[in-house]
Amino acid sequence: MQVSSLPRLRRRLFWAVPVLLLALPLLTNEYTQFVANGMLIAALVTLGFSLVIGNLGQLAFANTAFFGLGAYASAILSATLGLPWIVTIPLSGLVGALGGFVASSAALRGIRAYYLAIITLAFGELMRWVYVHARPVTGGTNGLALPKETLFGFSLSDDKVKFYVFLLVAVLLIKATSNLLRSRLGRAIMAVRENEVATASLGIPTARIILMTFAWSGFVTGCAGALFARHVGHVFPESFGMIQLISSFAMVLVGGLGSILGAVLGAVLLTALPEYLRAFPGLEELFFGLIVGAVLLVLPMGLASLLRRASPLFSERYYRE
Amino acid sequence: MSDLLQVSSLGVRFSGLTALDDVSFTLREGEVRAVIGPNGAGKTTLFNAISGYVTPTSGAVLLQGRDLAGQSPHAIAEHGVRRTFQNGGLFPALTVLENVMTGLHAQTPGSFLDIVLGRRHAIEAEQAARAQAHDLLKLMSMDHMADHRAGDLSGGQQRIVEIVRTVASDPPVLLLDEPAVGLSPVARDQMLEIIRRLAGEKGVGILLIEHAVELVMSVADRILVMAAGKRIADGTVPEIREDRAVLEAYLGYA
Repeated sequence: MQVSSLPRLRRRLFWAVPVLLLALPLLTNEYTQFVANGMLIAALVTLGFSLVIGNLGQLAFANTAFFGLGAYASAILSATLGLPWIVTIPLSGLVGALGGFVASSAALRGIRAYYLAIITLAFGELMRWVYVHARPVTGGTNGLALPKETLFGFSLSDDKVKFYVFLLVAVLLIKATSNLLRSRLGRAIMAVRENEVATASLGIPTARIILMTFAWSGFVTGCAGALFARHVGHVFPESFGMIQLISSFAMVLVGGLGSILGAVLGAVLLTALPEYLRAFPGLEELFFGLIVGAVLLVLPMGLASLLRRASPLFSERYYRE
Repeated sequence: MSDLLQVSSLGVRFSGLTALDDVSFTLREGEVRAVIGPNGAGKTTLFNAISGYVTPTSGAVLLQGRDLAGQSPHAIAEHGVRRTFQNGGLFPALTVLENVMTGLHAQTPGSFLDIVLGRRHAIEAEQAARAQAHDLLKLMSMDHMADHRAGDLSGGQQRIVEIVRTVASDPPVLLLDEPAVGLSPVARDQMLEIIRRLAGEKGVGILLIEHAVELVMSVADRILVMAAGKRIADGTVPEIREDRAVLEAYLGYA
């Protein structure tokens, strides 16, 4: 009985979190609401990144490009073409997925490890160059502002309104990713990480699995980009550079490589931390680095491994070293 | 017994080097066929050429009349020619059960969208695959290890799990690359028993590379002997024992 009720308990816990979070805007002020919104976006960015480097095991750093592509797609579609912002979310996801498709073509040509890392980094920097120089479309270094909008009569300039939209998008994408990982496709993703040659010998089209993982990672991250565009109200090339990349890399590692729960925990912790560290001007970066280093020394598998140890309720099927 | 696999004039040339030269043989249903030969004879190249990891430069590989030569490894595996690897092809971080379930991947229904949206039939397909994997492990008395990390198993157990995984989808042809190397005598006997059962009870045509001559003699119905990329003899165990070319080239007797 205990064994069979565990998945049900886990499912209830999964849905209980967003239901409880519905009350959050009642407890926040403008500033904490803005930070909470940023956490939801960071959670999706971290999730998409963790999928590629943790589950698929590819050292690819193109996710910042997917994030930027999503944000610019959303801004261009709503500012230039006048589409309602809410509609641009899935479209930005598709643009991100297209970015994933492009990035995977490097992996599919047999470029791996450090070479894949440098090629995907270059892709990210190239996209930033495009944002700066495609001025008529992207606004160049000035960026693009999103038009003011309402959704069902609620102003999308209100962080509390944004929160509900962000929460819905985040929950749907996290649930979908969890479904993916717990299926034969998720198993195939792990199999490719473990031994690509043997995976093909089982009739699994490894190239298609790699492409699918990058594309889904791009979709999740592209949707997050659309949320980000609305979050800050304005997209700039600077938002999608190395700092963004390193910060989401740290979130993946602190949370736990390949863990969905870890992606959320890492994003929440490392979004909150700099806000608290503001109290120590000049020492912020030092404390940030020390805390990240300390977590990884004590918990090499990230925060999620701590929870997993505490209760089987938090175990995830394909979160392994 | 009909011919399952027909390999004809298979050749592999790597820039100037002929690794496999005009090799032909057949494999029948339920037959265990050994491939022996000294190091560098081209045995593993033969396996790689049949399973698509190396593209043959000439010849054909017919599975029940359909030519598979030159297709990709996953396509060949999907058609029903499956292989194991000399240096272990298990996924160490996955459990034993999950390893076996990867062998069922291609025949488990559910599209990407069905899976992502959590549609009922995709979830049911996953549960059915899980149950089937448990059944397969039970057949080999390995079900008690189902939830162990595959990397934590002993070498012999890993080999057995790899075979269970490889035959999970009921392939008509199985290629085993040195299935008994490094095994204890007990594990080796267990391996022989599994090979006999797969061929005898399920009718799988098995092609195996093996160095241990006494093992080959005890399990194989026919033996293909190779040296320097060529077939030098092909026949039943007694025939090979008497073959002068084999004695000279491989067994080292004058």
